[in-house]
Amino acid sequence: MSAADRTAATPPPAAAQRYPGPDPARSMRALVLRECRRVTRLWTQTILAPVVSSALFILVFGLSLGSRIKEINGFDYDVFIVPGLIAMAMAQAAFSNNSSSLLQARNDRYINDVLASPMQPWRMNLGYMLGGVLTIGVSLVVIALPLTGVPIERPIHLIGAALLLVVLFSALGVVVGIYAQSFDHHSFINNILILPLTFLGGVFYSIEILPSPWQELSHANPIFYMVDAIRYGFLGASDVNVGLAFGFTALVAVAMVAWAQWLFQTGRKLKP
Amino acid sequence: MVRESTPALTIAGLSKTYDDGTVGLDGLDLDVPAGEFFGLLGPNGAGKTTLINSVCNLIRTSGGRIDVFGFGHETMEARRLVGVAEQDPNLDRFLTVRESLVYHGGYFGMSNGDADRRADEMIDVFDLRAKADVRTSKLSGGMKRRLLLARALLHEPLLVILDEPTAGVDIELRHDLWNYIRLLHEQGTTILLTTHYLEEAESLCEDIALISAGRIIARDTPAELKRRYDATTLEEVYLQTVSTSLPTVMAAEEERS
Repeated sequence: MSAADRTAATPPPAAAQRYPGPDPARSMRALVLRECRRVTRLWTQTILAPVVSSALFILVFGLSLGSRIKEINGFDYDVFIVPGLIAMAMAQAAFSNNSSSLLQARNDRYINDVLASPMQPWRMNLGYMLGGVLTIGVSLVVIALPLTGVPIERPIHLIGAALLLVVLFSALGVVVGIYAQSFDHHSFINNILILPLTFLGGVFYSIEILPSPWQELSHANPIFYMVDAIRYGFLGASDVNVGLAFGFTALVAVAMVAWAQWLFQTGRKLKP
Repeated sequence: MVRESTPALTIAGLSKTYDDGTVGLDGLDLDVPAGEFFGLLGPNGAGKTTLINSVCNLIRTSGGRIDVFGFGHETMEARRLVGVAEQDPNLDRFLTVRESLVYHGGYFGMSNGDADRRADEMIDVFDLRAKADVRTSKLSGGMKRRLLLARALLHEPLLVILDEPTAGVDIELRHDLWNYIRLLHEQGTTILLTTHYLEEAESLCEDIALISAGRIIARDTPAELKRRYDATTLEEVYLQTVSTSLPTVMAAEEERS
């Protein structure tokens, strides 16, 4: 049976335009769901890998150093490092997911399906970010938290800090995904920027034990404030003023979201 | 609201200069009446795909204006009215055939129910039922081409843009596709087609424009073009018009490479 024969059985297409005007909310929802679908299709990379690596860090550092370092700031060492490790896993997962998703969409050019659609640039930006944020954020918290057994002293603060952290790194992932020409660029940012700054951001220690000038230099590390905000949510204690930690994290998150928005709005690097 | 009398496409002074200085379009003017089967012919690098990408918001134009059924091409109204099947298959490798269609419907603001129903229709029309739950990366070239067309038509656009839709497609599928596109056209859809198969363009298109070096160099019905250039086939017209402007095209190609 030919296509023309087959179509005779379908309602008349085209000219009638049977559907009402495009619903922008539906457009964004479709993009969010598509991103979630990608995350779940690649669950071994997007969800399992960060959970396993965090569990290994907790196991190795907890066992090897936990017996030698009794307490930091009044907390057992294996409890102290958990918030930072979860923050690190969230940051890396959010960044890697969004960056690789955009890069693949650009390389294979199926992003054109989104760019040509009646979806406002801000919804595209938000759609790409939310897809990663929702799936990775929820998955890591649901899977990782029960495994650690660490108490949550300030759940509202924790939710706020985690949200800011994931939004920030999702937006950074969008920006890098738009600028990157290859996976080398994506890996470069992850391995040369995010990972070292996270390790030096007080994940495994309190910066109060550092000598000068390292303690002062740590205050210039943006990831230190994010780790500290997350730790405050878990343990109710932090190295710096909690308002400063939240404020700084929020400021960087807003800057990253604005950068990503500018790219979608102008089409720079997305469209030749 | 779309009026019958409004041209499907109105392009005035459209120009595009790429970042490397290559001129893709050079003050191009073009009107495509609503409901027409319109052919855009020209050699590689002449500006066909640049023109199509400009209409579909896939490149940043340097100047000029594009209206789709009277709406500025960047508006949400205009975008909804256009469906494009690009030259190379650009399918989301993480989705199945059905998901590709349903998510496309979502991007274009369709409800879940409408997108599902329409995806089913397109799956049947393009004989994709057996592959509906297969990831797009596993499809053959012909199946990918079918899916591209199904996706372009899913949201029932009034202007369908087909950029070399039968390139690399076997004769049977090509025949099927043209029959369906003809049917769409009979039902009122405006078709803008680019193809290197000149006999196809001659038999399908009511109006043809020849593009070279980013400008329209001739435009008329196939019969009138043949009469004007004293040719018996469209191929002869093509060779006459394009050969006169070929040095310009080659210079542009060289500059680009």
